[in-house]
Amino acid sequence: MRRSLILSGFAVLAFPTAALAAEGATGSWIGPFAVIAAGIGMAIAAGLCGLGQGRAVASAVDAMARQPGAAARIQTAMIIGLALIESLAIYTLVIALILLFVKGIQF
Amino acid sequence: MEAIEHPPIFRLPGIPDHVTYTWLVMIILATVAFVASRNLQLVPRGAQNFLEVVLEQFNQMIDDVMGHEGRRYLPLLATLGLFILTGNLMSLVPGLAGPTGNLNTTGACALVVFVAYHWIGARKQGLVAYLKHFAGPVPLVLKPLMFVIEVISHLARPLSLTLRLFGNMVGGHILLAVIFLLMGLDGLLGWALSGSVAGAVVGGIGSVVTIVFTVGFLYPLKILVAFLQAFIFVMLTMLYISGAIEEAEHHSEHH
Repeated sequence: MRRSLILSGFAVLAFPTAALAAEGATGSWIGPFAVIAAGIGMAIAAGLCGLGQGRAVASAVDAMARQPGAAARIQTAMIIGLALIESLAIYTLVIALILLFVKGIQF
Repeated sequence: MEAIEHPPIFRLPGIPDHVTYTWLVMIILATVAFVASRNLQLVPRGAQNFLEVVLEQFNQMIDDVMGHEGRRYLPLLATLGLFILTGNLMSLVPGLAGPTGNLNTTGACALVVFVAYHWIGARKQGLVAYLKHFAGPVPLVLKPLMFVIEVISHLARPLSLTLRLFGNMVGGHILLAVIFLLMGLDGLLGWALSGSVAGAVVGGIGSVVTIVFTVGFLYPLKILVAFLQAFIFVMLTMLYISGAIEEAEHHSEHH
């Protein structure tokens, strides 16, 4: 029983149009997958962006501790670098927002 | 989006909200500038003193990044910075809409920057020499490839400026809206006021926690982000302009 349920689940995943035809529904199966994709994509982007920014901040703080005189310039460069790294995660955020909120996308 | 979206308190019929609030930002900035410069004095007081401090900060930043000759571009940079900062801060006031939370406003700012730095670079050394510099210091065979890559990278700059400001603002707004929805009369606060014992305990504690979290952490963070994004926008604009100018100097040195 359970195994057949799992198998039919895989079948739905593998042949969504067949399932759609079987249900006779007009609703798109893209919607749930778009939500999943937005969540997973944003999670990956946020995690890796955190790693990258952590490396950048670590190096910058190290340099500031070694040379306190140049702290202001290092801080400026660090903030610009953080903005450039962060913009990659922001692109993913925008794509996630498009997936979640833009109505009428027909894939 | 409809669940967490709420319209601002003041709307003009037929005009999009971000345009209305762009006008509001313009009115605020023009009023402050008018009040500050109406009665100029050698020893500044009040509004004049405040604006002079702000513009001194801009001048300091320009001197650090672009050198002293960059002060020519103070009007462009300070206008962009003050507009974006005011727009960012305005979007934090409940009941108002922020103009920078809309893709059109940020796109317009980024397009102004894009046109401005190319215009400045082309003015500095002439259009042909400026375009020639896009090909870079590579052998003649590679120049077309280099040119295409350079053009694409320059076209990506306004896109990244646009999306960075927009994404930061809207991401924060959605976070705040979700928190407000969670703690509002449809959420924890409503549960606490509904009369059931469990609701009074859990909802009361939960709403206190979310309110403290919002006021103590999220709002200061959003204010920091508002200043930081305006700073980054202006800083990147400065880097682009100084890049266009420096290319000119390099070019004349090498030939």
